Amino acid sequence: MSDTNRNRLMLVIALVMAAIYLFPLYWMFITALKSGSEMFATPPSFWPSEPQWGTYAFVWESRGMGRYLWNSLIIAFGSVTLITVLGVGCAYVLARYRNVWVDIGLFLILMLQVLPASLMITPIFVGFSQLGMLNYPRLAVIIAIAAKSMPFFVVLVRATFMAVPQELEEAALVDGNSRVGAFFNIVLPLARNGILVSAILIFMQAFGEFVYSKSIIQAVELQPASVGLNSFMGPNTNEWNNIMAYATIYVTPILALFVLLQRRIVSGLTSGAIK
Amino acid sequence: MTKQIELSGVNKYYGAFHALKNIELSIEKGRFVALVGPSGCGKSTLLRSLAGLESISTGDLKIAGELMNNVPPRKRDIAMVFQSYALYPHMTVEQNLTYSLRIRGVPKAQARKAAEEVAATTGLSQLLGRYPRELSGGQRQRVAMSRAIIRDPKAFLFDEPLSNLDAALRVHMRKEIRTLHDRLGATSVYVTHDQIEAMTMADHVVVMKDGVIEQQGAPLELYDRPANRFVAGFIGSPAMNFVPAMVGEDGRSLAVDVGEKQTIVLDRQLQPGRKVTAGLRPEHLHFVEPGQGVFRLPVGIVESTGSATYITTSTAAEVTIVETSRRQVRTGDIIDVSIRPADVHVFDDQTGLRI
Repeated sequence: MSDTNRNRLMLVIALVMAAIYLFPLYWMFITALKSGSEMFATPPSFWPSEPQWGTYAFVWESRGMGRYLWNSLIIAFGSVTLITVLGVGCAYVLARYRNVWVDIGLFLILMLQVLPASLMITPIFVGFSQLGMLNYPRLAVIIAIAAKSMPFFVVLVRATFMAVPQELEEAALVDGNSRVGAFFNIVLPLARNGILVSAILIFMQAFGEFVYSKSIIQAVELQPASVGLNSFMGPNTNEWNNIMAYATIYVTPILALFVLLQRRIVSGLTSGAIK
Repeated sequence: MTKQIELSGVNKYYGAFHALKNIELSIEKGRFVALVGPSGCGKSTLLRSLAGLESISTGDLKIAGELMNNVPPRKRDIAMVFQSYALYPHMTVEQNLTYSLRIRGVPKAQARKAAEEVAATTGLSQLLGRYPRELSGGQRQRVAMSRAIIRDPKAFLFDEPLSNLDAALRVHMRKEIRTLHDRLGATSVYVTHDQIEAMTMADHVVVMKDGVIEQQGAPLELYDRPANRFVAGFIGSPAMNFVPAMVGEDGRSLAVDVGEKQTIVLDRQLQPGRKVTAGLRPEHLHFVEPGQGVFRLPVGIVESTGSATYITTSTAAEVTIVETSRRQVRTGDIIDVSIRPADVHVFDDQTGLRI
């Protein structure tokens, strides 16, 4: 087989795989636009005959999505801010010092990453309830998410810091700056891309977080969109078009953000973004 | 002359590893000092200790008469040029140059003027708006130099600044750095593993090995009277030949274990029968007419560069000879070689010290 034919074959395989992978997303988008009867038609239609654009407005109004999304945003921004402020310093120290304790710390951090949220939620819930944190449920969720996602952030940002040559910092010290000044003047601007990318990934995770929010936040008016979507579905649900419209409204902004930034995200994750 | 840098009894430990051993070094104002040695000899550690990037474990370190042991780098008023140049990638050339000034609160206009003046002397005027990634290796090197000279520090520290440049540019920059040093009347400490750089640039060469200063002095002093076998082998290119030898019964000749007819006359009296190592510089061995020489040596490898011919003998202890005349020599020839008695170095077999 010649090289071009081989490449074409590979491309076809890639396209087929992508199609399989993206099909549920496609199904979500078109189902949201179908009418009740078309939704259950056999054989299913792959393009809505009469797109029902009104579904979106109806779902937005009837489910009070504005409030849900607002809560999701608060939780996501809160978590990202907390993680970034605490995690950057942590990652920097772990990047610049090498000894047994740092290795142990890194190991523990990676261990934390392994534990699933559904396992962690019980002790967290009991702890928070003892501390009275359940009276501030959104803050409680922010802290829980920060604890859960911090390792991921620290590991990513540490790699970014390690890509910043130490000689640059030393040059800044000799040039007359202090350790702290060198960090803010030289290291942080150079690590900015990596930090930004990691923060965006954390944001997207936190925006869709479900387990902690579902368990900790009882009051409907404080719940994020992920919990709202869950409460939409029950054993006898048949309004799939509304659910899909909800899901579309929920997921499209994140998707758009990812598509817009994906080039930067990929390069930020792979190169360390220096030079 | 005032002492600009003084080190006395300086030791540095990394855990159990003894990186600097009892360093004594004093550098007068305006001198150009080269620290030279093989990698891992402690020369970079010593330089970084001067900069304050490493702390010393014991001893005193003074810059311009002030004790600097626990003073952070920013308060030492020294400038450093790094091997990788360490230019700030997110700043333009001008911002790189003025960084140290801006930290010290120098007004913008004044900093800009200083940058322009320095750039004019180092040929960077056209490049002030560029970023480091848009510069060639040589230009980056110049920026690193300019960044050091912009603020008139107490001393310049160079950490192998030329090792990333190609050979031709390196020779050029060597002269440029030395010229700059003279023009500024600066005090410079220059770390290199290249003894030619050390010999050509410095007033004072410090040869280090395993954290110890083996010898220090003027370049030619090191070349003419190396204190021990290590310095003898390190200074000079190609390296000095070492051959086992024994002092003759009269104490004024050496029986050398290489080739035929192996007796060298000495210009000094040594203990008869003592086992020693003879050090013969390749450039001090000369061709002579058959029968006139002190050595008869079989030729092994002949390498000609045009300006000189490098001949390596096929004897057990290989001897290298540099010959600048265009004499036809082929592998397998037997050549007669002589050396002046004054050019024969003798080292103790056990300690390696000069006798």
